[in-house]
Amino acid sequence: MTESTVAAEQGVCFQLKTSFLPCTTLQLLRYDLDELAAQLNASVQRAPTFFIGSPIVLDLESVKNLGNLDFNRIKQIIIANNMVPIGIRGGTEAQSMAAANAGMPTLILSKATAQSAASTAKTSTPAKPATPALPTKLITTPIRSGMQIYAKDSDLIVMSSVSAGAELLADGHIHIYGTLRGRALAGVQGNTDARIFCRSLEAELVAIAGYYLMKEDIQDTCKQAEMVQVYFENEQVKIAAL
Amino acid sequence: MAKIIVVTSGKGGVGKTTTSASLSVGLATRGFKTAVIDFDIGLRNLDLIMGVERRVVYDFVNVIRGESTLNQALIRDKHHKELCILPASQTRDKDALTEEGVAAVLEELGKSFDYIVCDSPAGIERGAQLAMYFADIAIVVTNPEVSSVRDSDRMLGLLSSKTKRAEEGRAPISEHLLLTRYCPKRVSNGDMLSLSDVNEILAIPLLGVIPESPAVLRASNSGVPVIDDTESDAGQAYADAVARLLGEDVPFRFLEEKPHWIKRLFSFKERETV
Repeated sequence: MTESTVAAEQGVCFQLKTSFLPCTTLQLLRYDLDELAAQLNASVQRAPTFFIGSPIVLDLESVKNLGNLDFNRIKQIIIANNMVPIGIRGGTEAQSMAAANAGMPTLILSKATAQSAASTAKTSTPAKPATPALPTKLITTPIRSGMQIYAKDSDLIVMSSVSAGAELLADGHIHIYGTLRGRALAGVQGNTDARIFCRSLEAELVAIAGYYLMKEDIQDTCKQAEMVQVYFENEQVKIAAL
Repeated sequence: MAKIIVVTSGKGGVGKTTTSASLSVGLATRGFKTAVIDFDIGLRNLDLIMGVERRVVYDFVNVIRGESTLNQALIRDKHHKELCILPASQTRDKDALTEEGVAAVLEELGKSFDYIVCDSPAGIERGAQLAMYFADIAIVVTNPEVSSVRDSDRMLGLLSSKTKRAEEGRAPISEHLLLTRYCPKRVSNGDMLSLSDVNEILAIPLLGVIPESPAVLRASNSGVPVIDDTESDAGQAYADAVARLLGEDVPFRFLEEKPHWIKRLFSFKERETV
């Protein structure tokens, strides 16, 4: 029985838990809503699926002195681009009241969470707090078949080729300045931002935070001689030329 | 102190024993006192390849267990006075080998020999591990074929981690590639991996390329190491390899197809008209 089921059984209605939820801040720099609509749309088009469902905090610091703003329209513009406006910050008292009426209350973010809100990382699940980073592990000798290298709490750089049957694991990114013929698993502790970079991808398997692609899937996506990066986006492992 | 050379591969049947035999004969011919040891306990072949199978009384395991002295077990080669062979046991198996026992034998040999060649068995088990554990030089025998290349690659990984030099943090074992059973014709029509394909994956200095040759089978059957067949291509390739091991700069032969006599005729005519 989980803690929450026990609590519910005893008649407890809720639990308050601290989660770290990175969200995107939209800093309003110029008050021109037609332009805002057009420019925001163009931005989102560049990576359409990336922003879907993103929680957005509207930052009014730069337009503080402009008095009343049409918050209803701003909210509509954000929603039209498939993002979720959750509130505002940095506005005057009058602006805060007007925004609240439009359904965008003022968020009081403590220093710690303000910093994480300002980050542009996007996940739909609570991200783990960053583990202390150790200096990057650097290997210059060839990685032979049967070898297994694990870079705990750090990135991994390999300056030679990785033979078939070898395995590279890292909590952070993996860089291979050679040919990858074996397996590379980045972000093994759950870091979906980890990426794999290599000069030539002939891998048996690549994985990021547990999501993997096998050799057959890789071959369709890229030519062998290209320099590529492997990254995780929208629940999928993707490969792109560098 | 003697230099210990291990001839290993991972894959079976690629030419380790053939190479150990020819290599040790080649070194002895150059005047170096050489001992060659068969580490394949239970499946001994070195004695057959060297033609001394009828003279085996005591073996490597007897020496380790103190049942005989090293001198009683060593067989002096009749054709090369600088060469001695230490055969393996046929009745026991690899569990009879111990690290201390092997260390003691190598130390005793080291006092009177210049080179000790260890003929490793196939695989990565105890026999192969002990054969490479004390080595200074490793010759990785590889066929230009995918499974052999992968096994050799694995072996290289073990050489850089599971040997005395690696564990003590000393200078690493000097690794060399010996590509055996090479057939230039099959390489040019794409059936066989080329030297550059193998080099790309293994990336270690090349000691020699031994061509596929009927002379090798003749040599094993007659108990004379192929390097003594000086007319054969394989024999000459082994002699070149020994020279390179001793530091000489010898160009690689037997890498190209021998052109058919008709082709040579036409190329002669072409040169005339030009």
